[in-house]
Amino acid sequence: MIRRVSALLCAGLLVAGVAGCSSDSTPSGQDGKAAGPVTLTYGIWDANQQPAMQKIVDAFQVAHPDIRVSIQLTPSADYWTKLQTAAASGSAPDVFWMSSTRIGLYADQGQLLPLSDRPGFDSGKFAKALNDIYTLGGKQYGMPKDYDTIGLWYNKKLFDAAGVKYPDASWTWQDVIDASQKLTDPAKGVWGIASPSWTQENLYNTIHQAGGHVISADRKTSGLADPASVEGLRYALDFVTKYKTSPTAQQMTDTDPSQLFASGKVAMFTDGDWDTLTYKNAPGLVADVAPLPAGPKGRATVVNGLGNVIYAKTKHAAAAWEFVKFLGGREANEIQASTGTVIPAYEGLADTWVKSTPQFNLQIFVDELQNAVPYPVSKNTSAWSKDTQALLDKVWAGQQDLDSAAAQMAATMNAALAKE
Amino acid sequence: MSRQQRLWPVHVVLAVGAAAMVAPFFWQLLTSLQTFGEATSVPPTFVPGWHWSNYAEVFRSTPFLAQFGNTVLITVVRVLTQLLFCSMAAYAFARMRFPGRDALFLVILSVLMVPGQLYLLPQYRMVMNLGLLNTLTGIVLPGMFSAFGTFMLRQFFLSLPRDIEEAARLDGAGPLRVFWSIVLPLARPGLISLGVLTVLWSWNDLLWPLVVTSDADRMPLSVGLATLQGEHVTDYPVLMAGSLLASLPMIVMFIAAQRRITEGIAFTGSK
Amino acid sequence: MATIEATPAAAPAAAGPRPRRSRAGGHPREWVWGYLMVLPLLAGLGVFYLWPIAQSVYFSFTEWGAFGGQRWVGTANYRDFLSDPELPKAAWNTLRYSLLVLLAVPLSVVLAALLNQVRDRHVALYRTLYFLPVVSMPAAVAMVWRWLYNGDYGLINYLLSLVGVDGPHWVSDERFTVYAMAVVGVWASLGYNMIIFSAGLKSIPRHYYEAAAIDGAGRVRQFFAVTLPLLSPSIFFVSVLSVIGGLQMFDTVLMMLGKSNPALAGSKTVAYLFYEDAFLDNRQGMASAVAVVLMAVLLLLTAVQFRLQKKWVHYE
Repeated sequence: MIRRVSALLCAGLLVAGVAGCSSDSTPSGQDGKAAGPVTLTYGIWDANQQPAMQKIVDAFQVAHPDIRVSIQLTPSADYWTKLQTAAASGSAPDVFWMSSTRIGLYADQGQLLPLSDRPGFDSGKFAKALNDIYTLGGKQYGMPKDYDTIGLWYNKKLFDAAGVKYPDASWTWQDVIDASQKLTDPAKGVWGIASPSWTQENLYNTIHQAGGHVISADRKTSGLADPASVEGLRYALDFVTKYKTSPTAQQMTDTDPSQLFASGKVAMFTDGDWDTLTYKNAPGLVADVAPLPAGPKGRATVVNGLGNVIYAKTKHAAAAWEFVKFLGGREANEIQASTGTVIPAYEGLADTWVKSTPQFNLQIFVDELQNAVPYPVSKNTSAWSKDTQALLDKVWAGQQDLDSAAAQMAATMNAALAKE
Repeated sequence: MSRQQRLWPVHVVLAVGAAAMVAPFFWQLLTSLQTFGEATSVPPTFVPGWHWSNYAEVFRSTPFLAQFGNTVLITVVRVLTQLLFCSMAAYAFARMRFPGRDALFLVILSVLMVPGQLYLLPQYRMVMNLGLLNTLTGIVLPGMFSAFGTFMLRQFFLSLPRDIEEAARLDGAGPLRVFWSIVLPLARPGLISLGVLTVLWSWNDLLWPLVVTSDADRMPLSVGLATLQGEHVTDYPVLMAGSLLASLPMIVMFIAAQRRITEGIAFTGSK
Repeated sequence: MATIEATPAAAPAAAGPRPRRSRAGGHPREWVWGYLMVLPLLAGLGVFYLWPIAQSVYFSFTEWGAFGGQRWVGTANYRDFLSDPELPKAAWNTLRYSLLVLLAVPLSVVLAALLNQVRDRHVALYRTLYFLPVVSMPAAVAMVWRWLYNGDYGLINYLLSLVGVDGPHWVSDERFTVYAMAVVGVWASLGYNMIIFSAGLKSIPRHYYEAAAIDGAGRVRQFFAVTLPLLSPSIFFVSVLSVIGGLQMFDTVLMMLGKSNPALAGSKTVAYLFYEDAFLDNRQGMASAVAVVLMAVLLLLTAVQFRLQKKWVHYE
C-alpha cells in the first residue's frame, strides 16, 4: 500500500516538476513486499500534551497497521536548538510540531515538504487565519494543529476574601488596576496580579489593546517604538514599578508567576488556554478565567497556534503524509478536544474542548477570536525576538528605562528585518 | 581524658562545618515531601508534609526508570572500556620500551591540558554524522578513552615492584600473559580507584549527554533532571524530589565504597 | 583468552632477523607489544580528542549557515569575540568566580588539619559528611541551591531574616549571582580538597612536629612552620585544579540561573559564552574561537603558576 502511495506521489511530484523522488521510492522498491512496518518519528515539546498525542498515534496505528509512530519529546527549552542541529545533519524527526515563529525560516531554507502539493490535501476545515500562518509563496507547509488565545485567570477565593467583584467582559485596564490594588496584601504575601515581561501571555496583548503594533503589516518595520506600543508596555510595567501590585522581575524569576498563581499567592494572571490542565490540577486552587480587559483602543488578544510539518529529508514521505493527514483529520482533533488538551484547529470542535473542563469558562478563549490579532512574526522571527526579549527583561529588572529600551528594541528589530 | 578535652573545640568547628555541608540535603528532603504551598509558606514550615505525590510526579513527567537504566548502562560501559584501554596503554607506558614512547605519552598528557570546550563541538559533529545522536553509543563513545585514566594508572604501575613480573618473564610468560595474570591482579587497588572515580564522573556528567540527546527516553538522569527543571521551572518540591532521586545512587555508593573513593582521590593528588 | 594463546605464534615473526638494539630501545618483540597495547587508546584519543582539537582550530576561522555549510572568514571570529560587548563582563565574572572559589583552598587546609587531630572513627563520619556534595549530581546541587537562594521563600533569606537582615534575590539579581555561585563552588569542592590535604598531612613525618615542639612551638606555630610548607605541593596541585575548573565553569550558570533570568546577561562566564554560541545561537565558528582563546589563557595561566610555584612550593 505504501508502495502504491509513493508511486502515486512520485507521479504527482514529477508533474509538479519537483525532483528528489528517488529517496523515497528506492527503499520501498528494494524492500518489496517484505518491507516491515515503516517507523516514523514525531517530534513534540510539551509533556502535558504527550498523553493526547499518544492516543492519536494509537488511533492512527489502528487505521494504518503498516506504519509505526514513535513520539520524540524534546523539552521546549531546547526544542528549537536541537531541531535545528538535527535538521542541519539530515536527522530531524519525520514529522514535527512547528510554530508561527519558525515556519518562515524552515520553509525558506527548504527544510519542509510543501503539503499543498500532496494528493488529498484539504485545508478546508481550518480557519483561513490558521492556514495563512503556514503558507509561504503560495504553498502550505503546515497542517494546523491547534490555536491559542489569552485570558485573564483569576483566583476566586482571593477575590471573595478582598470583596472584589469577579472580572468580566466589561472590564477595562482601570478595573484591573483598581482590583489589583485591592487584592494586594503584603502581610499575607498576596499580590493582586503577576505582570512578567513575557510577550505572548502579556505584552503583545497590551500593546495591541493600546492601539500599538509589534511589526508592520508588510513585516518590514518594527512598531515597538510607536507611542501607543510604549503605552501598552507601560501599563503592564506599572503593576511592577508604579502600583507595586505585581511581584518584581527577580521574584518572578525565583518563583514562576504561573506557580505563584496556582498556589494562591497571585490573584490575577493573564495566561493562555494551554495552562488549563495545570490550573485544573493545582491543589486548593479555585479559579476561573475572563476575557482580557479592554485597553484605550479596545480589546485585543494575540492568537497563535501550532502546526504539524514534514521534514524535507524524511525517508518516508508517503507515510509521513498519511500521518499528517490523520493529524489534520476530525478524529485526531476530537482527541485533542475531548482530553481538554488544546483548542483543536479543526472547525466545529471548539465546543468539545470547552465542555471538557466545565469548571472553567473556557468559552472565552474561543470567543476572543473576534478580537484576535495574529502573533507577530517575520521570516526569521528569532533573529530579533531574542534581543527584544532581553531588553524587555532589562526594563522589568529596573536596569533600563522603558522609553530608551523601546527605541533600542525598534532599532535592533529593524536592523534584523532589513536582513530578511 | 585530657586529650579528649583539648579536642572539643576541634569537634565544634568540624561539626559546624559538617552541618553546613549537610543542611542543603535536609532541606531538599524536607521540601520534596511538601506541597508547593507548604514549601512557600512564610515563615517556612519545618514539618514534612509526607506528600509522596512529588515523587510520583517525577515518574509521571520524566521516564525516570528508563533514564536510570540509561545512566547505569552508560556508566558500566564507560568504566569497563576505560579500565581496559587505559590499563593496557598505561602498562606499556610504564614498563615497556618502544621508540617514541615518551613522545606519545606527552601527546596523551597534552589532551589533559586542553579544556573540554575545544573538542566538544567537533565530537558532537562526529557523533551527529555517524547518525549516533540520541543513542547510548553516541553518549558513551568519547568517554571510553581517557587520558586521565592512562596517566593515573601509569603512575600506579610505576609504584609497583618489578620483581614479580621479571620472575614471570624469566619463566617464559609472554608480555600479555604477564600483564593479564600478574600485573592486573596486583594493580587491583589502582583499577578500583579509577573505576570508582569513573563511575562518579560518568554518573554525574551533564554537558556531553545534554548536547547529544534530545529524546527524553534516551537521556541519562543528569539530563533528565535538566529537563525536569525546564518543565517544572520553579515547582521546587517536584524538583527536589527528582534531584534527590538522581543523586541517591551515588550517595549510597559513596557510603559503601568510601575508602576506595578517598584513596583514589588522594592518589590523584599525590601523583 | 585467545589472544594470550596466540602470543608464542606471533612472537617469532615479530622478533625477526633484526639486530639487537641498545637497552634504551628495548627488544623488537617488546616494541610490537608496546605499540599494540597503546594502540586502542591512542586510536580513541586520536579520533575523539586530537583530531577534534585540530578541527576546532580550523572551525574557529569559519562561519556556519543555519542548516549547515561552512565559509572561511579568516580571523573575523576572533575579532568579533574580542570586541564582543559581552566579553569584558564575562571575563570579569569568570575571574571573580575563579578567585572566590580559590578561597576553598585555605578553608579546606584548616579543616583537614583539624580532621587530622581527631580519632579515626570520627574521621570517617566527618569525611562522609563533607564529601556528600562531591558525589551529588552537579545538576541536582544547582537545583537545591537555587531553592535555598529563593528570594522570597528560600531558607537562606529566612535565616538572615532571623538576625534582621533582608536578604537579596541571590540568583536573579546580577549584583549577587557571582557570589552565590562561588559559595556553591566552595561548598561543593571542600570535601575533595580535604581528602587530598588529609593524605598530604599523613605523609608528614611525626618527628618534624616533635622537633618543633621541643623548640617550644605551639600548635599554631607548628601549623605555619611545619604543616604549611610540607603541604605546599598539595596546595599547589589543588590550587591549579581549582583555577582551571573555575575558569571553565558554565554548568552552574546554566542550571542555577537558567536561560530566562534577568540576571543572566550580567552573570555569564566565558565558558557560558562558548556554550551559548555553540549550542543555543548556532554560531559554531565563533564558539570554536572562544574555545581556542580559552585554551590559550588556560595554558598561559598554568605556565605562570608553575613558574610561581618555585617561589613558594617546598619539595623535599
